[in-house]
Amino acid sequence: MLNFIFDAASIAPGDFTGFTFFIGSVSMLAATVWFLMQHGQVDKKFKDSMLVAALITGIAAVHYFYMREQWVLDGSSPTELRYIDWILTVPLMVVEFALLTGVGMRKLFWASVVMLVAGYFGESGVTGMLDAQTWGAISGLAYFWMAYEVGCLSIFGGPSGAVGNALASGSGKIPEAGRMLQWFVLVGWAIYPIGYMAGTDGWYTFVAIDEGAMNIIYNVGDAINKIGFGMAVWYAAKS
Amino acid sequence: MNVVVKSKLAGLILAFSIIFFGLESSYSILLFLVVMLSIGIPHGSVDHIIAFINPKARKFDSKPIFYLVYLSLIVFNIILWVISPFLGLLVFLIISCYHFGETQVIGYNPTDNKILNFVIGANILLSLFLNNIVELQEILYILPQFASLDLSAFDSVFFLLISVAILMLSIVNFEIKRKVPLYAEITILYMVFFHTDLLTSFALYFGFCHSLPMLMLEFKEFKTDSFMKFYLKTLPFTILSIIFGFLLYQFNNDLLTSDNLILFVFIIISSLTLPHVFIMKDFVKDK
Repeated sequence: MLNFIFDAASIAPGDFTGFTFFIGSVSMLAATVWFLMQHGQVDKKFKDSMLVAALITGIAAVHYFYMREQWVLDGSSPTELRYIDWILTVPLMVVEFALLTGVGMRKLFWASVVMLVAGYFGESGVTGMLDAQTWGAISGLAYFWMAYEVGCLSIFGGPSGAVGNALASGSGKIPEAGRMLQWFVLVGWAIYPIGYMAGTDGWYTFVAIDEGAMNIIYNVGDAINKIGFGMAVWYAAKS
Repeated sequence: MNVVVKSKLAGLILAFSIIFFGLESSYSILLFLVVMLSIGIPHGSVDHIIAFINPKARKFDSKPIFYLVYLSLIVFNIILWVISPFLGLLVFLIISCYHFGETQVIGYNPTDNKILNFVIGANILLSLFLNNIVELQEILYILPQFASLDLSAFDSVFFLLISVAILMLSIVNFEIKRKVPLYAEITILYMVFFHTDLLTSFALYFGFCHSLPMLMLEFKEFKTDSFMKFYLKTLPFTILSIIFGFLLYQFNNDLLTSDNLILFVFIIISSLTLPHVFIMKDFVKDK
């Protein structure tokens, strides 16, 4: 078991991409332990939020161990495993907004369903209908709807949906934590559409990124997004 | 931490161990049998006592009437499977959806919303089947409705995505007191279903998310001094059930091959499940 988790020696010297898979897996595991420990320390109303934060990083840790294993074994890009991870964790990240504010779960769930399903249909081509860029546009619209709902535009003084308004008027450190979460959605989540454009054909073919580099971006971005999301929630909860 | 959470946590640790260590699928039948014999069947083996100690479940005038009704339902179910395996499976699925959902929502919502109970159970079974659909198709090939399905265009991620999307839409469209923890728990289940084979998935879910929490709730209801004393009370009917299954197997031995052995196991499970569901419906009323 310990070998399985900490067997970094099997990553070839100079394999920076493999190293980021290793860092991704152990940092997610460490974050899970941390969030579970903090679960007992925070106020009752934040306990579910901390549990969900632990769950997000826990699920990611499991899949990062798999991904690292696959990368080390044959150097192939573990796209399927990434999708499994995202399908399970993105809704949970969205749930954090609903837990902090008590509103918007229905809209955010719908938006994330459309975003994930359209993204998958575009990348896999399983439906045989529409092209990748159209599915990508549908997925992107759902993402922007979500970004609007959680108040990402309010960072620049723009309008905000119900969730963003509830975050701004929340008690304690919720407004500050909410602002961090909004930045994560706006900037951190941008790596996913970039990855989509790099992996499919469309007007955006100029977005061609080397597979190894793309995995590094995903690994670092995933770690920041998932652990950062939980840390922002913990920041609101620890007061 | 209450007994239900503890039971589920035990299952989660076992599930993660299986995923991490990559248990060979050849061991899944062993895991399935151990879980079924030690937890699965025992949790339904005290129905005859539950039916009389729970004030909300006292629908039977006497024990002979209870046994008559209980055994009649078992016989009815077997006849149904013999006449029409498709109908037998359909009834089993509908009843199981309700029963699994009803016990799954305990701790998250009162169990009196029957449609919610059914939908949650249906979600769990749907995900269990979708995430192991190729394996399921191999088992149910004798049913033409399944054998003719062509799933080659779809990969496993598609089925996970569909099951998560349906779950999300189910959760947001129902009034549930603790939506998020319920969603979160089922998400973990889905991950386990995805990464383990059908028998292991079912054993882990049925054993640790359904049977063990129910067994612990029954233990509380019995108010016996020790768990061992309570567990001993489950043994007579557990052993009887095993003998019943063994006799059925012997009786049909010439018809059974390794291909449809799992289907046979499902028939046994469904026969034990049908009457049990009616007893547990009353038992979990105020849980």
